[in-house]
Amino acid sequence: MNMPLYGQMLKNHLRTMSSYAFGSAFYILLMFWIFPSMKTQSESLNALLGSMPEGLSKAFGLENGFGSVDGFISGEYYGLLFVLILSIFSIMTSTQLMARLVDQGSMAYLLSAPTTRIKVALTQALVLLTGLLLITAITTLAGYGGYAWFIGDLNEFDSSRFLLLNVGAFLLFFAVCGISFFISALCNDEKRALGASGVVVFGFFSLNLVGKISDQLSWMQHISLFSLFNPAGIVKGTVDWIPVVVILLAVGLAGFAAGIIVFRKRSLLL
Amino acid sequence: MLTVSQVTKVFPGSKGIFDVSFTVEKGEVFGFLGPNGAGKSTTIRHIMGFMKPAKGYVQINGYDTWKDQGRFQKLVGYLPGEIAFMEGMTGKSFLDFMSSLRGGVSQERRAELIKRLQFDERTPIRKMSKGMKQKVGIVAAFMHEPEVIILDEPTSGLDPLMQKVFIELVLEEKAKGTTFLMSSHSFSEIERTCDRAAIIKDGKIIAVKNIHELQAVQRKLFEVTFENRADRDAFLGSGLTIDSYQDNQVRVSVQGDYNRFTQEASKYRIRSIDLFTQNLEDIFMDYYDREGRD
Repeated sequence: MNMPLYGQMLKNHLRTMSSYAFGSAFYILLMFWIFPSMKTQSESLNALLGSMPEGLSKAFGLENGFGSVDGFISGEYYGLLFVLILSIFSIMTSTQLMARLVDQGSMAYLLSAPTTRIKVALTQALVLLTGLLLITAITTLAGYGGYAWFIGDLNEFDSSRFLLLNVGAFLLFFAVCGISFFISALCNDEKRALGASGVVVFGFFSLNLVGKISDQLSWMQHISLFSLFNPAGIVKGTVDWIPVVVILLAVGLAGFAAGIIVFRKRSLLL
Repeated sequence: MLTVSQVTKVFPGSKGIFDVSFTVEKGEVFGFLGPNGAGKSTTIRHIMGFMKPAKGYVQINGYDTWKDQGRFQKLVGYLPGEIAFMEGMTGKSFLDFMSSLRGGVSQERRAELIKRLQFDERTPIRKMSKGMKQKVGIVAAFMHEPEVIILDEPTSGLDPLMQKVFIELVLEEKAKGTTFLMSSHSFSEIERTCDRAAIIKDGKIIAVKNIHELQAVQRKLFEVTFENRADRDAFLGSGLTIDSYQDNQVRVSVQGDYNRFTQEASKYRIRSIDLFTQNLEDIFMDYYDREGRD
């Protein structure tokens, strides 16, 4: 890894990364803030959920209902919004860190300095992961803060399950970042990298959603990485972590390794 | 110092570079001439290790520039043909960043270069003109005092005054033993600095020649305006190669033999002389004409 490059890249991207992190933190605080008012009506909301097709509430992670704060946050925030925020972050940032520099030509300067392509690619991968870690960490902290602030009674809050929600999200996006990093390292054209990453990541996302909504199409979710992050299951404590951790780490590491190798071996139009 | 050996790279549509070979000795300034699209930049991309040659290799001081990444760059300064900097940087922050990537460079050297090229390094790069960006790029290529400097069309965007400063800079570094490779599409740009030049056309090296030899085959057109018609007529009969004439103006084509031209011209009263230099393609054509005659 190349420290000056890491520092400069982090500086270039810190503002965007903080926007994602604080946007996410703000949103989770909002969720905690509205929870008490939702809880007073939880019976009617749960009745409403009951009247919806089962697949739909499962697809959006709402099967834990609105009665408990964990259930509410896991369904409302980790079930959809946080996943969307991190998907966008992975696609955009991985594209900017590799394909854009090649497309623009500024990669020529990085490679004319005494360093190797492997080091450059590894450093860019670490910048991407630093961003992911930053967003997840700030969201986690905001979650704890929001709970203490708006709900107060910490005995009821299963803090370790909440932490696991964040660990699960981080692992899923470690894998997603690996894939989009690989695509970005492969492309000469920024727009093509962005498009390809977008299709793959949102393709996985949609497969998972469709697979959950429809019973006939439930096989679809099994080919989607996103099914490995099951917020409702994590809160209920029904998730078997070992295969989840192994698969997500393996996919992520394979993506980053393949990205670095492909970047080392290909001819660049700089 | 720099060896390009049989480098071949074919792109879809059968464009590319074919069997490109030349060597640049230590302390030599080597010109790399060719029209646009002839393969100059592609060759330089191979020299810098950005592209993998399908065949052949490039070595700088014994390091293979594709295989030995991380080592050869210490010796090299590079100015890309199309300068692209990272967004949101000023000239200063870019040069600071390049210095740290290089593991530190002499601040005095950097300040001296900036002073000579006369630009304000605090300007954000996106607000810089092409010439100003070129100056930042030149500082980045020279500041760490590399042994080999590779410049892709270095004077594009520079005004004549700055071109002169740039030439002085190259000659000073050459005196210190620095090796240069610079590409250009115009002969006059490199003839003041280069010792030898390679000429590339359609991806093939067609000649590697001493610069004086190229100067000798370069034809120059002198447009001489005489004071009176009689002198013009006498001049027309002097046996020089006349390109064209109109009124009191005569265009004479001179190749190498300047003495004869000046002797003939000094016999008459002359109002003015203009000079037209031949473009690169014509030099090649002449070169081949002469090869054919010999």
